[in-house]
Amino acid sequence: MERGSHLSLIIDLSPSQWHLSADPSNPYPLSFKTFLSHVLTFVNSHIASKHENTLAVFGAFPGKSVMLYPSSETTDDPTISSDPNTYRPFKLLDSVIARNIGRELELLGDSDDEAPVALVGALTKALCYINRHAHVPTGSATEDATAFTDPRILILSVSPDLSTAYIPVMNAIFSAQKLKVNIDVCKVYGPDTIFLQQAAHLTGGSYIYLERRDAFLQYLIMSFLPTPSMRKVLAVPKQDKVDFRAACFCHKNIVDIGFVCSVCLSIFCSPVPVCSTCRTKFPIKTLQRLNASRPVVPAAHNGSANGTPRAPAGRAEQLVIGQSALRDEEIDHLS
Amino acid sequence: MPSIVEETPPPDEYSPHALLPFLHSQPQNALTRLYHRPSSCLSIFRLLAPIERQTIMNLLWLESSILLTTMSSWVVRDGKKIFDDAVATLSRLHILSNPSAKLGLNSTFKASLRHALTGGGTSGSFGVPAEIDDKRPSPTVQALDAYALERWETILHYMVSSGTGQLPAKPSQGVLYLLQRSGLMATNHGSQLQITSSGFQFLLHTPHAQLWELLLQYLQMVEERQMDLVEVLSFLFMLSTMELGRDYSTEGLSETQKAMLEDLRDYGLIWQRKASSRRFCPTRLATTLTSSLPPLPTATGAGTDGQAQGFIVLETNYRLYAYTDNPLQTAVLNLFVTMKSRFPNLVVGSITRESVRKALANGITADQIISYLTTYAHPQMRKNKPLLPVTVQDQIRLWELERNRVKTQEGYLYTAFASQADYEYVLNYAKQLDVVLWENPARRCFFGSLEGHSNIRGFIERRTAAGNGGS
Repeated sequence: MERGSHLSLIIDLSPSQWHLSADPSNPYPLSFKTFLSHVLTFVNSHIASKHENTLAVFGAFPGKSVMLYPSSETTDDPTISSDPNTYRPFKLLDSVIARNIGRELELLGDSDDEAPVALVGALTKALCYINRHAHVPTGSATEDATAFTDPRILILSVSPDLSTAYIPVMNAIFSAQKLKVNIDVCKVYGPDTIFLQQAAHLTGGSYIYLERRDAFLQYLIMSFLPTPSMRKVLAVPKQDKVDFRAACFCHKNIVDIGFVCSVCLSIFCSPVPVCSTCRTKFPIKTLQRLNASRPVVPAAHNGSANGTPRAPAGRAEQLVIGQSALRDEEIDHLS
Repeated sequence: MPSIVEETPPPDEYSPHALLPFLHSQPQNALTRLYHRPSSCLSIFRLLAPIERQTIMNLLWLESSILLTTMSSWVVRDGKKIFDDAVATLSRLHILSNPSAKLGLNSTFKASLRHALTGGGTSGSFGVPAEIDDKRPSPTVQALDAYALERWETILHYMVSSGTGQLPAKPSQGVLYLLQRSGLMATNHGSQLQITSSGFQFLLHTPHAQLWELLLQYLQMVEERQMDLVEVLSFLFMLSTMELGRDYSTEGLSETQKAMLEDLRDYGLIWQRKASSRRFCPTRLATTLTSSLPPLPTATGAGTDGQAQGFIVLETNYRLYAYTDNPLQTAVLNLFVTMKSRFPNLVVGSITRESVRKALANGITADQIISYLTTYAHPQMRKNKPLLPVTVQDQIRLWELERNRVKTQEGYLYTAFASQADYEYVLNYAKQLDVVLWENPARRCFFGSLEGHSNIRGFIERRTAAGNGGS
């Protein structure tokens, strides 16, 4: 008998972005309320597929990340009344998630300048959660029943890239690779984020840019409901072109041409005499040669070599060269 | 020495659930009535294979049906056959209507599954919870587990010890009738029920498979008891979606379903304070019907919470150590193990030729013995690869082959031919028909199989008649 699979869902909850998304001038406006009802139906479908399937939901709020489900009060909450018309696990799940989101949003307050969304925090929490449950101490008899199999993470993103988050995102990707966790990304609103594209590409997940936002639930079900083992049979759309550009360590800009420290693989946007990470001094001649070879107008269409922070040497070549962004997802419309 | 072919399928391989063939055989209108209830749809959905579930999900929120070719373009080339099988299965269950050209879900099924996922509706199919009664609190989960375990083991223990002469507690009349109807036990000239060879095989199955085997038998009996099959099935599915440790009210149940309460109480699927009580509690046996979680909490007895099912250590020298104090497990092991000594929490025995042959004589197969040992292997054994010592596995299979050296075949012996020519003439005819199993020209006799007899007999009669007429 097949085993249950685990899904960690990360929801980007930036109030300002959701406000923009609901704006009726958009081609397909999607309000947060509709979004949430679709997401809840999707997680119910995940739980419905198998009795043993497990779920964790993390919210990335401005400035902080919160675990929305399972929360400590989930197990038996008398305030959630029983309803003969609803399967009780669904009812518990939906009301706990909705209530926790509401509570966190109220705590945010009305300050004008919104802190950037703590997506990396949520991603790290999700990875920690999976790691904790994947490594149940051996010898205990229940290890087979509770250990996660086929874990995967789904990120529903609305905020643009935060270039300061480049290094933590990359480190999270490497941990996910090590844990054999697939990261799926659904870009619900806003421009493509190249970091999440890379995350999906490097972990074997799929990145989908939501074009028809009125068909959000159908996208979710067809692309993200199949478990990794089932994706061997079902063709789930993957992105053709991945933007592999990296952010420099000095100004956190996303660069087309980067200069990589030969010792620690740190990336800089211009040649520097001393590596700021490992304090390696570079010879002045190299510096002059590099400066001389820099193109006057940065070539927009030929991204160049860049590196990865703290990547094991074997992995580096996966990231090195990238074409500039050409968004061309293959998404089949069925509806 | 013949070579032994390993025939253990990979554990991840999906085998369809035992209930599905039964559902296939039901008429369309019965299934459609069943699909009216969201809880039934959810439970059936869970019993399906992964790809079938995904196909349903893909179609669930679409208003119009879509072309089969569009849908199958989502499948990689190697998975084409799996997908076609899935579509065939779903249409046999009448979940997909008219699958030849366009794929669309049965509208009843679609509406009910949508209700199940989003909540709402007025069907009340997930069970009406009883109001909380402070004077009579609902039993704890531990109490329910103990109750279910006790009921279930009573049934199994009764079966396993029926041949040995000792008489443990008897299960209720309804259970005995069910066991007899299912052919797991039979009356053996007299009133005493005896376990049959399929009963022995039953004992070695996992509790989950045992439970469904009995329930399927129960479903077969439903019609002769003049109960409505749809009501019975939907009640079982409703139980499987209920929450453990919660009281449910019997209000809203139909008469058939109220009558079922008594039967299910006997099997240990539900708990009631007393027979006339207006509330009931599902036990773990009921709530895990559609999952693969172990339906019985701890089969190794109380006090060892969290201990898995595994308790058997098997060594290459055929010695077997079973860490159990459970009389049922000891009795089951006794079917194919020669017991040597018993300790408070340990049984020591060894697998011998005699003990295995005794089991084979009872109708148990070598594969069943091996799969039982695999299922209940001690966690320490799980570090070994392969799990069971190969020598022991091979030997058990060889002992089984030993019994199969002689093959019986029914037929007729033709003797007393008048002349050698007669004999050869008939023998040639029989050889042309390919029905000769053995021949002995010196004694002018041969042995033909059963199916060739009428031809050969007709041939001889015609020949005799012709011979008589000619002379």
